Parts: sequence; structure tokens; C-alpha cells
Amino acid sequence: MVAFAERRPLGDNAKAWALNAPAIVVIALLVAYPIGYSFYVSLQKNNLKRPRAKRFIGFDNYKALLSDQAFLSALKVSALFVLVVLGLTVVLALILALVLNERFRGRGLLLSLALLPWAMPGVVNGLMWRTIFDAKTGALNGLLQQLGLIDSYHAWLTSGTGAFLFTALAQVWNTLPFSVIILLAGLSTIPSELYDAATVDRAGAWRRFTEVTVPWLLHPLLIVLILETMNAFRAFDTIYVLTGGGPGDATTTIALLDVQTVLTFTDFGLGSAYAWVITAITLLISIGYIGLLYRKGNFEV
Amino acid sequence: MSTQVRIPLSYRIPWKKIVLYVLAVGFALYLVLPFYWIVAMSFMHEVDAISVPPHWVPVHPTLENYLGFVRPNAAQELVGGRAVSETPYSLRNSLVVATATAVLNLALATFAAYSFSRLKFRGSQVLLVLYLLTRMVPGIAIIIPFYLLMRSFGLLDTYLALILSYTTFALPITIWILKDFFRSVPRELEEAARVDRCGWFRTMWTVFLPVAAPGLVAAAVFAFMTAWNEFMFALFLTSTKAAKTIPVVAANFATDFNTQFTVMAAAGVLAVVPPLVLALLFQRKLVQGMAAGSVKG
Repeated sequence: MVAFAERRPLGDNAKAWALNAPAIVVIALLVAYPIGYSFYVSLQKNNLKRPRAKRFIGFDNYKALLSDQAFLSALKVSALFVLVVLGLTVVLALILALVLNERFRGRGLLLSLALLPWAMPGVVNGLMWRTIFDAKTGALNGLLQQLGLIDSYHAWLTSGTGAFLFTALAQVWNTLPFSVIILLAGLSTIPSELYDAATVDRAGAWRRFTEVTVPWLLHPLLIVLILETMNAFRAFDTIYVLTGGGPGDATTTIALLDVQTVLTFTDFGLGSAYAWVITAITLLISIGYIGLLYRKGNFEV
Repeated sequence: MSTQVRIPLSYRIPWKKIVLYVLAVGFALYLVLPFYWIVAMSFMHEVDAISVPPHWVPVHPTLENYLGFVRPNAAQELVGGRAVSETPYSLRNSLVVATATAVLNLALATFAAYSFSRLKFRGSQVLLVLYLLTRMVPGIAIIIPFYLLMRSFGLLDTYLALILSYTTFALPITIWILKDFFRSVPRELEEAARVDRCGWFRTMWTVFLPVAAPGLVAAAVFAFMTAWNEFMFALFLTSTKAAKTIPVVAANFATDFNTQFTVMAAAGVLAVVPPLVLALLFQRKLVQGMAAGSVKG
């Protein structure tokens, strides 16, 4: 730090790289190295339970993946999960952010409530929804019955479709706040003159929304899409507690399957191959999003 | 002949207000009711908590579920006793790990973010995108080597292993939040300080950082939340009450079929309170700090 106070300043280039050095070292050591090593492990037959059988097998783990029913099913579950969670989150977060952007009594309270799910660890979120969806004593059953909507208690999580949808709903509740904050932050910076101008042009509420709000929000929306896609794709803790992946493999997402492979079956080789496929897919999606940001022209770094 | 009845403007039904309030109340219920349910359960006796139809308000409110974490009674000792006794330790562990992660992140990210906001340098775009891409790497992809690395350094079941891993999760986003906020700080402030012959370090400390406070707060809260909520790494890297964090202990409640719903609920409530207080305290700065990051890119 002292160096920058000296009379002869270093060039901007050297200065900038020096400032970035600590972050780069930490990331290189703790992300770049492990991810390289993980690729190396994915080329091995490597199961902790059979240490003697450890050897290099090239791409055999990856070849195994292509015909691995558990893997293909988890990939499908994850893809659907991302679509459902992302769709619901974006719509709900956008409406809630639009509400919070208005002035009304109780706005502060609603904003505080909107932060609540953010403070909840995924595991605790899973616990909470388990007590709510419980077949014998759950709050959801109790509420619906008292409202006269159902006659008898239902086991919400025993059918594949039911478990999938309720797990997705639990996940949406948990991930909503972050999107709301980002969208609200974006909304709060729209200059009010834009709306005034639109009103003078006699644009209705819907046209003001599509022609002023949405274009202005494109960037925050893309950020939300990126982060929430990643979150939903690697979703695991809420599901781990809520359904454990069941019934059958109806809620076994790719991340959950990977953790089971590594933790329960201690198959490091196959687990690493799973992980590499997940990484490749996530990177492809994110590069797609980043490309979109660039094309929109408002990705200025 | 037709007589048109004109409703004076002031009698028009305020549709916009009505829609707004209906939505606001709907969202408020949606956000708070699930949490209310575990709060209510945490103050109930087991019998009341599992009754059909449910009691929506504790009829015989009790603190025994919370007291059990400090002195478990016979029944709590019997069912899920380990998770119960580990809860207080895990709360302490989570607090230490999350706070340390937030501090370390701010320190590292402030330098990096400053360079992006003030200096023109070759490779800045690439570096920035690279930071973001490391954030895209799923945790599961690095957990095995990370575990082996920590094992060879003898860091398994320690705070440091968790702090280091959470720092790498939060760092990229922290840098992104901060760089945009830093850009919104007027350069003139620093130039004025320089005229007053302040060194770089003093300028940063006394002029720049105080002005950038909302961004710093947003970044710190973000890092804290990331660390507080993380489960997978904590599951792999910790094994005893020396370092287990609250999500790991909470998961023990869930996988133990004997656990009482009420004790589980109490643990859940305790797990939410610290980060919630933090988020509420810094609510305004949080949105302000995020505003810079999400809009300008």
C-alpha cells in the first residue's frame, strides 16, 4: 500500500494488477487449482472404498455417464427444476419489486418481510416446508381443510409430480428476496421524467410498463437470470432436507446425485465426472448470458 | 332524452390503490406465514404442535424447546440428543465463520474493485469476466480436491477451511458490487484530498471508503449471508462441534426420524435470527448498494 503513496507512481497497469493480486492468488489457489485437479480425478477409477483399484482410465467415467440412467434422469429433473423455479421467481420478484417501488402505507414493513427468506439457510428452509407439507400434521393440510378446500389430509410429497412441484415452490420462496432486491434497485433508478413523457403521450399503464420499465430493467433482469439459473441448477440443500431426492428419483437433481455419489458411495472418479459435466453446462449457460449482455450493449466494464 | 350520469372525478374508484394493497397484503402473507408457522411451533408443546386441526397460536406457550439447547430434558436427550446439544456451538461457529468471511472478502475485494473503478488497464475486461466465471463453477466441482487439500494441510474441521472456501464463493460478486459503487463516488473527492497532500492510503481510509459505505455494507451483508447459508462445504469439511455450522446441525434434525417438530422449529428460528437482524439493520444501504451494481453492469 505504501508504494502507491510514493512520489513516482507506478503505471496504471502494474498498479491495477498489484491491487488484484490478492484476489487472484486466493481464487487461483482455491478454485483454479481444485478444478484442474478435479478433472484429473475424473479420469481415474477412484473409489475410497476400493483404494487398491485406483487407476487411470481416461474418459471411461464420461462414457459411462452417457448410458447412466441415474445421471440422465437427474439432468432432466434439474433442467425442469431450473425452468419452473426461474419462471416463478422472475414473475413473482418482478411484481413484488413493482409493488415495493410504489409509495404506500406499510411499504417499509413489506420490504423488511421481503428480506426474511434471504436470511434462511436452505436446510432450514427445507425443515420449515417439511413441517408445512407434512401428511399427518402439516400446516398446509390444516389450513386447506379449515377453509373447506379439502376433505381429508393429503400426502403432498408422495407422488413424483407433487414432490417436484412442492419442492420447486419451497425453493422459490427461498430465492425470491435476492431477485427482488436487484430488481427494486434497478427500478429505483428509472428517471421519473421517462414516465412523465410517456404519460404525456397518453401511454396506458401497460405501455408504460413495456416501453419504459422493461427496457430499462433489461440489465438487472439478466443479472437475475444468470444468478438464479446457477442457483436453481445447483439446488440441493432444500431438496436434501425436504424429500431427500424422492420419491424414487423424482426430485433428485444433478447436484444432489453428485453429492450422494461422492459422500455415500465415495466414488470420487465418477463424482468428479458428474461435477465436470455440471460445470461445463453452467459455463455454457453463463457464457450465453454474458454474450447477451454484450450484445445489448450495456455491459460496460 | 338520454341523461348521462357523470361521476365526478373524485368519486372514481381508485383501482390502482386497491390493486396495490391487495398485492401488498398477499405478498406479506406469502412471505411471513410459513415462517410464522415455525415460530409458533417453536413455542408449543409437542402435543399441540401435531394436533389436528392445528393450533395456529400456541395455547400453552412454553420456552422448553429453546431451554432444551442449554439443558436438554430427558425426552430431548433421548430423541435427537446430539443435534440438540450441538445447536449452541453451531450458532457460535456460524457467527465466527460468517463474520470472518465478510471481513476477509471486503479486504480483498476493495483493492480489486478500486482498480476497476479508477484505473484503465490492459486485461481489465477479461479479468472481470474471469472473476464472474469462477463464481459460475458449482461448489460440487471443487469439493473433492478442496477436501483433499484441506486434509493435507490438517485444516479439516476448522474455521479456516470454511472461511477460505466461502471467501472464494463471495469474492467475485463482492468485487462486482463494489466496483460499480466505487464508480459512483466522485473523483473530485480524491483529487481534493490529494491536493491536501493526503497519501493514497489516507485518502482511501478517510475520504473514499466512508463515501462508499453503502456499497461496502451491501457487499459485507452479501458475503455474510453466503457463508451463513452454505451447506455442502460445511457438510464435507466439518465433523464435530468444533466447526459444524448451523445448516449442518439443522440437517441432522431432519434426517433423524425421532426429532420433535417443536425442537427442530426452535433451532430453525435461531438459525434465521442473526442474519435477519443484519439484513433489517442495513436494509436501506443494502438496496442502495445493490442499485449501483445491477444497473450499470
